[in-house]
Amino acid sequence: MSNPVRIGLFYTIVRPEEKALLQAAEARGLATERIADDAVTFGLERPKELPDVVLNRSVSHTRAVYASRLYAHYGVPTVNPADVLERAGDKIRGSLRLAEAGVPTPRTVVALSPEAAMRAVEEVGYPAVLKPAVGSWGRLMAKVESAREAEQLIEHKSALGSPVHSVFYVQEYVPKPDRDLRVFVVGDRVVAAMYRRSSDWRTNAARGATTEAAPVGPELEELALRAARAMGGGVLAVDLMETAHGLTVHEVNPTPEFKALQAATGVDVAGPIIDYVREVARR
Amino acid sequence: MSGCPECEATVESATKIPGEVFPCPDCGTELEVLGTQPFAVALAPKEAEDWGE
Repeated sequence: MSNPVRIGLFYTIVRPEEKALLQAAEARGLATERIADDAVTFGLERPKELPDVVLNRSVSHTRAVYASRLYAHYGVPTVNPADVLERAGDKIRGSLRLAEAGVPTPRTVVALSPEAAMRAVEEVGYPAVLKPAVGSWGRLMAKVESAREAEQLIEHKSALGSPVHSVFYVQEYVPKPDRDLRVFVVGDRVVAAMYRRSSDWRTNAARGATTEAAPVGPELEELALRAARAMGGGVLAVDLMETAHGLTVHEVNPTPEFKALQAATGVDVAGPIIDYVREVARR
Repeated sequence: MSGCPECEATVESATKIPGEVFPCPDCGTELEVLGTQPFAVALAPKEAEDWGE
């Protein structure tokens, strides 16, 4: 009989999701080790004591990517791997992957300077949506309806000083019902899906959107799996919008929350994640 | 048992684990469990620019 898998849970904060994951591991007889992302250090030599696999739940994109790289250096697999985190955690890289895989996604124009940003907005047309390349929960997203609004926003963003705020990810505003879809993918299967409704144009659950279970038909399943595969696969939440021309994928999240999804659908999400993590450890 | 750093309300829990974030039952400030033996809390870390899903 093989030794039980020891899972390292790499985290920033312990939320209901992380507690559910720890409980799911315990229920399967798996040992866990909690690794706080603000306390751990990494040398270049492989430490003697390491978990068999790391479930990377850091909410910091920067820390998450470096940690998955460092664990890979030690020969410890991570869920998700650094490449997947880099692709899905950066909207520019994510959009490129979706486009390369032929996955429908809103029209997007990137500008690398405030000077070019206005041209990017004009190319997309109004209304346009400006999003930070990294980060989520709807933070720092803006919808601009006119050239005047766009100019003001670009000026404010460039005044923030950091070079990352002078990179502009501009997307067409997609008219949609007052809801979008979130599909949770683990490995090669869809675990559950939900609608997120909001009177705000942003439908993030973190912004108070209400949720309800969504049926997973073949079209939705196939598109979500293609989007997840485009990022390299793993544990991913695919966000889609329903348009007049069919479904379009606007984002793939590499460190997804699932408390609202579990509540809306009654589906156990933590269990399949831990099963997948165990499978990755044994590969 | 520990005190909320914001409102000094007594906060205690037998079920919380280190790293867990929860609102102070009195003032609602987000707190983080630093340790359980003894139980100690601090203000939860502030959301950084690269935080997300």
